[in-house]
Amino acid sequence: MLWRLIAKHRRAVILGATLIASFLLMTLQVRHDPAVVAFTRQAVLMAVSPVIKVTAVALGSVGQVWQDYIDLRTVRKENLQLRREAAIRERRVSQLEEQALETQRLQGLLAIRDASRADFLAARVVGRDTSNWFKTILIDRGSSAGIRRNLPVIAPDGLVGRVFEVTPTLSKVQLLTDPVSAAGGLVQRTRVAGIVFGNLEAGLVVRYLPQLADVAVGDEMITSGLGGVFPKGIPVGRVVAVERRSGALFQEATLQPKVDLSRLEEVLILLQPDAPAGVEAGGLRQK
Amino acid sequence: MKWAFPLTLLACVAVQTVLLDFVSVAGVRPDCFLLLVLFWAPHARPETATLQGFAAGLTQDALSGGPLGLKAFILSLLGFLTARLSRRLATEKPLPQFWLLLAAAGGAGLLSVGLLSFFLGPPPLLATLRVVVPEILYTALLGFLVLRVPPVQPKRTRPA
Repeated sequence: MLWRLIAKHRRAVILGATLIASFLLMTLQVRHDPAVVAFTRQAVLMAVSPVIKVTAVALGSVGQVWQDYIDLRTVRKENLQLRREAAIRERRVSQLEEQALETQRLQGLLAIRDASRADFLAARVVGRDTSNWFKTILIDRGSSAGIRRNLPVIAPDGLVGRVFEVTPTLSKVQLLTDPVSAAGGLVQRTRVAGIVFGNLEAGLVVRYLPQLADVAVGDEMITSGLGGVFPKGIPVGRVVAVERRSGALFQEATLQPKVDLSRLEEVLILLQPDAPAGVEAGGLRQK
Repeated sequence: MKWAFPLTLLACVAVQTVLLDFVSVAGVRPDCFLLLVLFWAPHARPETATLQGFAAGLTQDALSGGPLGLKAFILSLLGFLTARLSRRLATEKPLPQFWLLLAAAGGAGLLSVGLLSFFLGPPPLLATLRVVVPEILYTALLGFLVLRVPPVQPKRTRPA
């Protein structure tokens, strides 16, 4: 009887079930982080991680082929010998430029390594968030490489974010600019503490800075080490605006992130988040 | 044909996470998962379109930093409504097609804002406008260019 009734109204039943399931999932996450949510996220991530990795690799290859094709079209007007030489030169220049850029980036990472005593792991960025609301990236290292949730992620210039989800081969990193991201911050010059929040509009906003605290445009903000996720001393950003409202308990500052989070290609994951890293405390040791 | 939706969903994952980064405008990218649901829903029965929307939304949520279930909710509803209304609203004229896409993307965007406000608190108005409006326009425009296929009248088998 019940099955017959369900079969008769199956459209409404299926629609209702999916909507209720979605709503329940969202509600559960607001209250706490249940196992079913973590399991679902991990299962989907694991299922699609090969596709993302293969696409990222293929895109690199296609980009190279496309670059070669463009180069060849440019020199086609010349004779065969010149065209070959030009193509070879173009390709070599392109390769050298790419190598130089990569070397520059890696030197930045090595500089951090030399100045620190924490363990870290390098990873490549292979994907970005599927929505425009949230700011996360996918990296090509997972739990099989020793990554676990809440590990800090940095770049040569400063803090990037924290590991948010982990699968054996792929991890999701919540960027500092994500609207639900928060990190303890410290104004380097005056040692005033605040909390750095991600903001869709401004990028980064520091809240809970005491109203009378000395904070000025141009000040550097570093991590405070409070909160237990990010070690103290990692550069976060530079103050570009300060807002003091009369009668308010706190002032707010807008930060320009130290790292260009829209153009990340490689990142470092701090495997010992307790160990200090960054300009104040020194760098890292690569695994 | 049975594997067509899962395969296009995987392709959509690759496009949305890896490729669309290169065509983002001011950091805003179109919503390919929404277009995927809009593409398949007119070809399917409402219950199938609902489940397709749920699967696409759940995948999108798992790959996003947002709450799991947000897009699943929106795309389930969108799949159902598209499948139900596709026959009535089917048109070959470009302008109404664009308006329909804009309405679908706009509805999904507004629902996103509503659900996010309900669960995470209201987002700042300027930021909302900065994200939602370009996303709606970009998605509708891409959908108009990509999905401009004649409306399909699917063979719907009536249950016994």
